[in-house]
Amino acid sequence: MRVLLIEDYPPIQKAVARGLREAGFAVDVTGDGEEGLWYAMNNNYDVVILDLMLPKVDGLTILKRIRSEGRSTHVLILTAKDTVPDRVQGLDLGADDYLVKPFAFEELLARVRALARRSYQAKNPRITVGDLRIETATQRVWRGQEEVQLTPREYALLEYLAVRSGEVVSRTDIWEHLYEFNSEADSNVVDVYVGYLRKKIERGGKPLLIRTFRGRGYMLGELK
Amino acid sequence: MTPSIKMRLLLWVIGGTAGLLAVFAFVVYGVMYRSLVSGFDAVLASTARTIVSSVEQNEEKIKAEIDERELPEFHRAKRPDFFQLWREDGSILARSTSLKEADLELFGALLNPVFRAVRRKELSRGKSAIRGALLNPVFRAVRLPNGRAGRAIGIVFVPKVDEEAKGPAQPQKVTLVLARETAALDSDISFLRWLLTGATGGTIILALLVGTMIVRQGLKPLDALAARIAAIRQDDLSTRIPVDRMPAEVAPVAQRLNELLRRLEEAFRRERSFTADVAHELRTPLAGIRSTLEVTLTRPRVGGEYQQAMEECLDIVRHTQAMVNNLLALAHLEGGQTILHPDALPLGEMVDSTWRPFADSVRARGITVESQVPADLTCIADRNTLLMILTNVFANAEQYTNDGGRITVTARRAGESVDLMVENTGSLLSEEDARHVFERFWRGDVSRTDTGSHFGLGLALVQRAVTSLGGTVAARVDGGTFMVQLSLPAAPAS
Repeated sequence: MRVLLIEDYPPIQKAVARGLREAGFAVDVTGDGEEGLWYAMNNNYDVVILDLMLPKVDGLTILKRIRSEGRSTHVLILTAKDTVPDRVQGLDLGADDYLVKPFAFEELLARVRALARRSYQAKNPRITVGDLRIETATQRVWRGQEEVQLTPREYALLEYLAVRSGEVVSRTDIWEHLYEFNSEADSNVVDVYVGYLRKKIERGGKPLLIRTFRGRGYMLGELK
Repeated sequence: MTPSIKMRLLLWVIGGTAGLLAVFAFVVYGVMYRSLVSGFDAVLASTARTIVSSVEQNEEKIKAEIDERELPEFHRAKRPDFFQLWREDGSILARSTSLKEADLELFGALLNPVFRAVRRKELSRGKSAIRGALLNPVFRAVRLPNGRAGRAIGIVFVPKVDEEAKGPAQPQKVTLVLARETAALDSDISFLRWLLTGATGGTIILALLVGTMIVRQGLKPLDALAARIAAIRQDDLSTRIPVDRMPAEVAPVAQRLNELLRRLEEAFRRERSFTADVAHELRTPLAGIRSTLEVTLTRPRVGGEYQQAMEECLDIVRHTQAMVNNLLALAHLEGGQTILHPDALPLGEMVDSTWRPFADSVRARGITVESQVPADLTCIADRNTLLMILTNVFANAEQYTNDGGRITVTARRAGESVDLMVENTGSLLSEEDARHVFERFWRGDVSRTDTGSHFGLGLALVQRAVTSLGGTVAARVDGGTFMVQLSLPAAPAS
């Protein structure tokens, strides 16, 4: 899942980006409203975390622009403005969630996860594909009765394929949702990670779950 | 407490009405009294004329041929009238039946020898026209022989001469006193008195009622105004009192009040936004500390990472502390709690020592610094406050100067004050922005990239501090050059 963090206070920017990355998100970060708007308009983010008081272009303007362009990216406003009119205004302008600083990082993470899931009409935090079970809250994965240990990146790949299970997901899509904007890696790295993931979840002769569609991409589970 | 306007108006109205009514009543009473008494006197005089006409002089003898049967008033048992006639020598000529043996008294001019003399003189001149006439009757309130109050007419007259008599007779004078009980007159007068008193009193009471109503009605706009004022709540100062339908006397009050409300609302709005700003400025670093610590604690880290997180948090704490200190300094200055010890201070030295901490970082950024402060320039200021002012102005200049830019510090004496100008290049502010730089928590949008290190309080603090030192401060932007000009009182030249 890919997140855009637009926050101009360096300590929060740094800590939140780090925490999200450690939780398996690909995070693009900017402290500047103008740059943030550009990022939001030119990439497919699952969630945008948006501060309101920003240099150059303020948060509400960014939100209005995102919505007026018809983008349905989920937006979470993260701000120190805590009055009811502020919240109402933010939500009325099309924000999906509103969190007031100071906040518990855990809560932010949970809200971002919920918003990311909703991008794929998946409201259940437990995703089941065949005998594969994913608990998104704790990021634990089971195949049958056996727990599968995954690295954050492998987990992110699996989760992305899982929320879109039954669909053929292109390598570009995967790459766009798992890698940050200024990432060095190119989309070939997707094949490598799909390989790692297969080894772990299809280990010991278990039935195949990830299917390759040559030239089109990958699919988890049965075709819908 | 001052008596209310209602009470005062009412008192004046009632007092005025009562005074006018009293004068009016006295005049009416006087006129009516005189007319009643003169009516009474006219009746007395006409009875007197009847008696006078029945007195005749026959040669030297005077006869009173009064037929009391035709004059029942002199012998009736109830409230009879009385008369008595005296000859010139003082002997009694006649008296009414009602008098029995009693006497009426002579009074006033009747007793006056001069009066008598005058009469005699007039008569001796042979003025026949006055014979039988009532000459200058005198009236007097008297006590009647039966002890009742009465009124008497007294006349000195010359009786007509009996036509049958022959030869001229020496005219003789007769004195008549005729008295009548005044009970009816007195009751008329007392009725008049009661009537007037009652009418006056009644009118005053009515005036009181009507006046109260009028005053109440007249002062209704004031009550309405009071009600409107009472309805203004502290948390909603946007209410305005509608002035268009107010009477001309109240409208100016309402207008002044509206102006006051507008100023209050503005002040409250500023205070509220200040409080909100303070909350915001405290929440942001708190959020920074919290996220840094929480993210660090989400999983086990190597030692260096903990240290880094702690250093980051410490940085935030230091900045926050600086901001809180600035806030406190600002609050103290605004509350007038800062104790100042004004002194003559050498401006040049103060500028140099304050600049020193900024010198290295400025040099590292390739910024040219030009300082021209005459060594002999001294100003009157509190040392610590001036240091704080200079530090904030320099910090501001240092922060916003572009790398490779220029900072210019100049000073000069201008009459009774010392002017210090600090200019820096690289400002992104507009001229409109320059007007806001002294507002608490205001900052040019661009400066927000630097949240955490600058809190929008520095120049606000400078302005309050300079004001507390009796100086002024102004800011200008001109083509990317930002300029702050401080004016402080100059020390008298030694």
